[in-house]
Amino acid sequence: MFRKLFIFSLAGFLAATGMSTLSAAEDVAINGAEVVNNNCGRCHNSRSIDEFSLEEWVVIIPHMRERAHLTGAESDAVLGFFQSLQETSIENLSGSEVAARTGEELITRYGCLGCHSFNGEGSSVAPNLDNTISLRSEDFVRRKLLNPKFNNSATPMPRSSINNADIEVLIAYLKNENIR
Amino acid sequence: MKNRRCINLLVLAMLPSWGVIAAEERNALPEGRMAIAGYGDVTYESSDRLNTSAFTANFTPIFLFRLNDRLHVEAETEFALNDVGSTEVELEYIDIHYFLNDTSTITAGKFLLPFGQFSQNIHPSWINRSPWTPGIYGSHGGTQAMTALLPVLSDVGVSFQKIFPFNSRQKIFVDVFLTNGARAEEAGHEEVGEVEEVLPEVEFEATNGDNNKDKAFGGRLAYAFLPGLEVGASYYQASYDDAGSLEVKARGLDVNFIHNHMIIRGEYIATETDGFEDDVIHNFKRDGWYLQGIYHLGRLFQIFDSTDFVIERAEVNKLEESSRWVYGFNYWLDDRSLIKIAYEDTKVTNGDDDKRFAIQFSYGF
Repeated sequence: MFRKLFIFSLAGFLAATGMSTLSAAEDVAINGAEVVNNNCGRCHNSRSIDEFSLEEWVVIIPHMRERAHLTGAESDAVLGFFQSLQETSIENLSGSEVAARTGEELITRYGCLGCHSFNGEGSSVAPNLDNTISLRSEDFVRRKLLNPKFNNSATPMPRSSINNADIEVLIAYLKNENIR
Repeated sequence: MKNRRCINLLVLAMLPSWGVIAAEERNALPEGRMAIAGYGDVTYESSDRLNTSAFTANFTPIFLFRLNDRLHVEAETEFALNDVGSTEVELEYIDIHYFLNDTSTITAGKFLLPFGQFSQNIHPSWINRSPWTPGIYGSHGGTQAMTALLPVLSDVGVSFQKIFPFNSRQKIFVDVFLTNGARAEEAGHEEVGEVEEVLPEVEFEATNGDNNKDKAFGGRLAYAFLPGLEVGASYYQASYDDAGSLEVKARGLDVNFIHNHMIIRGEYIATETDGFEDDVIHNFKRDGWYLQGIYHLGRLFQIFDSTDFVIERAEVNKLEESSRWVYGFNYWLDDRSLIKIAYEDTKVTNGDDDKRFAIQFSYGF
């Protein structure tokens, strides 16, 4: 009896809601960095984005979609985030493009504002970056960008392909452009 | 008949969302077809009860195939050496996902059972912060002193997953499944010390067959407040004898709480197993729980930047009572490889206690 009631109730519940519960992502742009922050760390550390090629991530993310209960739109947002990071890594840019990269551009391209905020812009799921240099030191930020886990093994922040030149540009930007 | 009705109702539940596939725009993403991920570990373990110490090695590749935007195949195989030197291969899961729409997925094959969080998400050794499986789930090889409540990781059948996202940080997950289920263990019953009651022996190992026409069914309902909290309730029910008249039922509650430098994971499971006692069907009830805490020591001492402290308590009550403490330290070499050093102390009310020490090198790839 309980079995019938259980299945019947569940089926009715799913049927009643099946049409109306498409992801809110269809109406609101989803931030891939925020999806990574919110979901990967529930079970494991965020893997380095460069650990797999984009061709491999396209196959791996559907596996994680089912496992982590991601919507299709969230999965696409994560792939878009990884794509933006991999395709804008320094190896894919010409010399003049590298030289032209500003802190403002880098903080966007590396997806920092997907989780952090700076000068009032960005997300609030991770600590805001205002005054982070004065509070934490340049060396802390340098180490954090190279290895996000160095001070927190449970951090959801993924390791990216950032290089030393970009790190220095970002540090200078966080130090000099902070208006708060 | 009963099972056909269950399956029909599940299919009916999926129909309303069949035609609402979101037009997903891919910004010229490459057409990946196959990827290999997985994990492995090398463990040194010493056990007082077994009076042995040994090194073991496991290699568990996961083969992933993307057939198209909606179809995805995954297979996890575990390669390990047994105690006579032969290589054993175990198919942990092999299933195909059909992404029905943005929030619904059908899975068919041998899949990880959506009961609690450990089986589905925490069991890979590079993710599990302890070298051992929580006592209430049992372990591969079954050498642990604690008698597991629900030693099931995967089963063969179909499942349906539905996600109800409220916003970017709140979701409800619903997973339901129909599988071959449990069966009576051929070895028969076993006396339990001086306890009068005899706990029926039920085999949960997944097979391409069933000893009766009754399918196991169940599922999990969970609420996630991302990124820090997920709580869930699970149910499992299966007939395990040839006639389909004896049932095993399990109810579970689980929690996963993640804070800045701390993780708390736990599950409670209560089981009811039908069994004969003096030719009368008797309902054998057991319950137990585990709670695991992980604290990042770098929060206190910078010298321990990459080190976690792990503590775990598990208890099984009523029949075959036992309890376990686990203490350990994990040192992270990078994002997905770590060295675990752990000590386990298991007290068994009517049986042999056990103390174990393990060093495990786990890696994800």
